[in-house]
Amino acid sequence: MAHIHLEDGSFTLVWVVVWWACALLLIGISLYLVRPVQKSDNRRITVAAFCTAAAFAIFQISIPVFGGVHMNFTPLIGILTGPAIGSLVVFIINILSAAIGHGGWSIIGANTLVNIAEVTVGYATWRLLKPFIPGIFPRAGIATIAGLLCGNVAMILIIIISGVQGVNQGTAQILTGLSLLAAVNMGVAVIEAFVTGMIVTYIGKVRPDLLPGERP
Amino acid sequence: MTALPGKKGLLIFLGLLALVIVISLAAYQMTGQMGIEERFSHAVGLDPGKETVEEGGGWFGLSLEGSPLLYGVVLGILAIGCYAAYRHFSV
Repeated sequence: MAHIHLEDGSFTLVWVVVWWACALLLIGISLYLVRPVQKSDNRRITVAAFCTAAAFAIFQISIPVFGGVHMNFTPLIGILTGPAIGSLVVFIINILSAAIGHGGWSIIGANTLVNIAEVTVGYATWRLLKPFIPGIFPRAGIATIAGLLCGNVAMILIIIISGVQGVNQGTAQILTGLSLLAAVNMGVAVIEAFVTGMIVTYIGKVRPDLLPGERP
Repeated sequence: MTALPGKKGLLIFLGLLALVIVISLAAYQMTGQMGIEERFSHAVGLDPGKETVEEGGGWFGLSLEGSPLLYGVVLGILAIGCYAAYRHFSV
């Protein structure tokens, strides 16, 4: 998964405000879009609660692959809850993560944007591939890879646009470094894709009604 | 286009995974063994500080970011919220 592992003070105040404003705008749009869901589909709200708890739990754990990496199952959140509710879920997870000391408060806006990209692209890929790849496992896996790839691209763009305070490297050097970082991150996407595929396949077998667009 | 027959979807997925693994391993060889924070600091040109490689710490090499106490508290509250939602909405 992609996550900007920088401390408070890494971005200038202007960029902190800009990324927070962009994130809050998307959260506002998401809140507007989910208003009808509150009355008509309680299952999605319950699934969102489970996704929040599970993703928060796994996100704080550093896995000993490539020296230490995180998973957060953002594409899975997108597949199970959709982009609107999923955006709210990742926003809550980022706030709770900062609250326990994992990540800076000023980076929450930027990280929420990165995670919203993962949720949205994961969901869109999952839905768009359905006519071509009906199998749940490979489709969920490909959606996960696509979502996490876009999340890494979003992370790189945000850092390149913002710049990092106290760094003397040029843009090209930072871009090279972040590209290598993203490539290493994508190695973990393989694990996440497999796990996501298995979870979605299991849910598709026992509770297909919980998969948006897959309901019998 | 029409639906891909049989196992073609799975083959595409596995091929994609193989490509990602190759690229990822190549990047890992170029950057070397680092912890996640250290890798990030190195990528953007910051002083990585005192952090060391995280592998080998915690349980089976797994380690927790942030405060373990707060992690437990927040996770407990979320679990109670999930149970309440599950019961209330009769999912």
